[in-house]
Amino acid sequence: MSVVEAGNASQSVMEQVGPNIIHHVSNSDISHPILGLPTFFGIDFSITKHVFMLWVVAFLVAITIIIPIRKFLSSGRPTPSGWMNAIEAIVQFIRDSIAKPNVGPKWVMTWTPLLLTLFFFILFANGIGMVPIFDVLGLFNRFVMGVPASDTHNFINNILHGGVTATGNFNVTAALATITFFSIMAAGTMAHGFINHWKNLAPHGLAWPVYIILIPIELMGLIVKPFALTMRLAANMTGGHIALLALLSLMAIFGEMFHSTLAGVGVAFISLPMAAAISGLEIIVVLVQAYVFTLLTSVFIGMAINVHH
Amino acid sequence: MEATTFLPIGMGLIVIGASLGIGKFTAAAAESIARQPEAADKITGAVNLPLFLLEGVAILAEVFTFLMLIL
Repeated sequence: MSVVEAGNASQSVMEQVGPNIIHHVSNSDISHPILGLPTFFGIDFSITKHVFMLWVVAFLVAITIIIPIRKFLSSGRPTPSGWMNAIEAIVQFIRDSIAKPNVGPKWVMTWTPLLLTLFFFILFANGIGMVPIFDVLGLFNRFVMGVPASDTHNFINNILHGGVTATGNFNVTAALATITFFSIMAAGTMAHGFINHWKNLAPHGLAWPVYIILIPIELMGLIVKPFALTMRLAANMTGGHIALLALLSLMAIFGEMFHSTLAGVGVAFISLPMAAAISGLEIIVVLVQAYVFTLLTSVFIGMAINVHH
Repeated sequence: MEATTFLPIGMGLIVIGASLGIGKFTAAAAESIARQPEAADKITGAVNLPLFLLEGVAILAEVFTFLMLIL
């Protein structure tokens, strides 16, 4: 059920709050894509909100990271200046404190580009979730342009469905974790050869009954690593937004519970500062989760390369 | 009584477990940094990774609880 239907039906505020929160953190539902495309081979190729946001993120990364670096490299100057200084600081941090200790000095230059790509993409995708640009557009559309919410042909009304945090979608993070999964394989294969990489999964020289337990556990660990990466990133990005919206919804809930606008306004004095505080926390979470994904990827790649047993 | 009645209790248990774990971790890290301030960088590096893994477990449990609630 979409929120527009929920809003039109004569439901109480309490029943609208839950679907409203879910609507703000999930992808736009299948009945309201931004651009409806036909189904090929049983897969719906419609452009939904999160697909659109992924394109926006790719565009932003291209114009803020890739183009300045290309320009700097082709200019031939020895020292960076301005914006390049900031990029260089991050690049150096990821190479020296994430990649080098985990992957090892021999393979740093092979795997740092992948880690940097993951870091910048996740950072931008997380960060753009904290910018309420579409909600501002919706307010402008509703109150300045005077377009009613029921107008389904209005473009801005159509792009309002769904949340803006692309990394809050489990499919997106699963794709990112799949990249990690295959790069673990590639790292082990490049360092030890295909056969030895699979042999390295379990320690050598144990009594044979141990292997009956150990080999299934190690094979399970192979799948659990990317699965945990998927869940961690998506759940963190979704959880923060849910907490934020739940706090803001308290105003509506209290106003409804006590049948007075005053109660809602009174609760606003508590819930708005708390929502602001959670927004501050979210900005830290945005940075930390991008860092964690990069760190764990490099740790897993390092585990495949530097086998300790 | 529905199964979802006990979900808030489950959420509470998750929060208790995770906060106990993170609290012990931080306490140990702070203590060891106080003993050896010169090793602060190494201690922070060693604490970071298990801390994120622990947080991942808590988040996983929270997601499963939430999915049980809405599905």
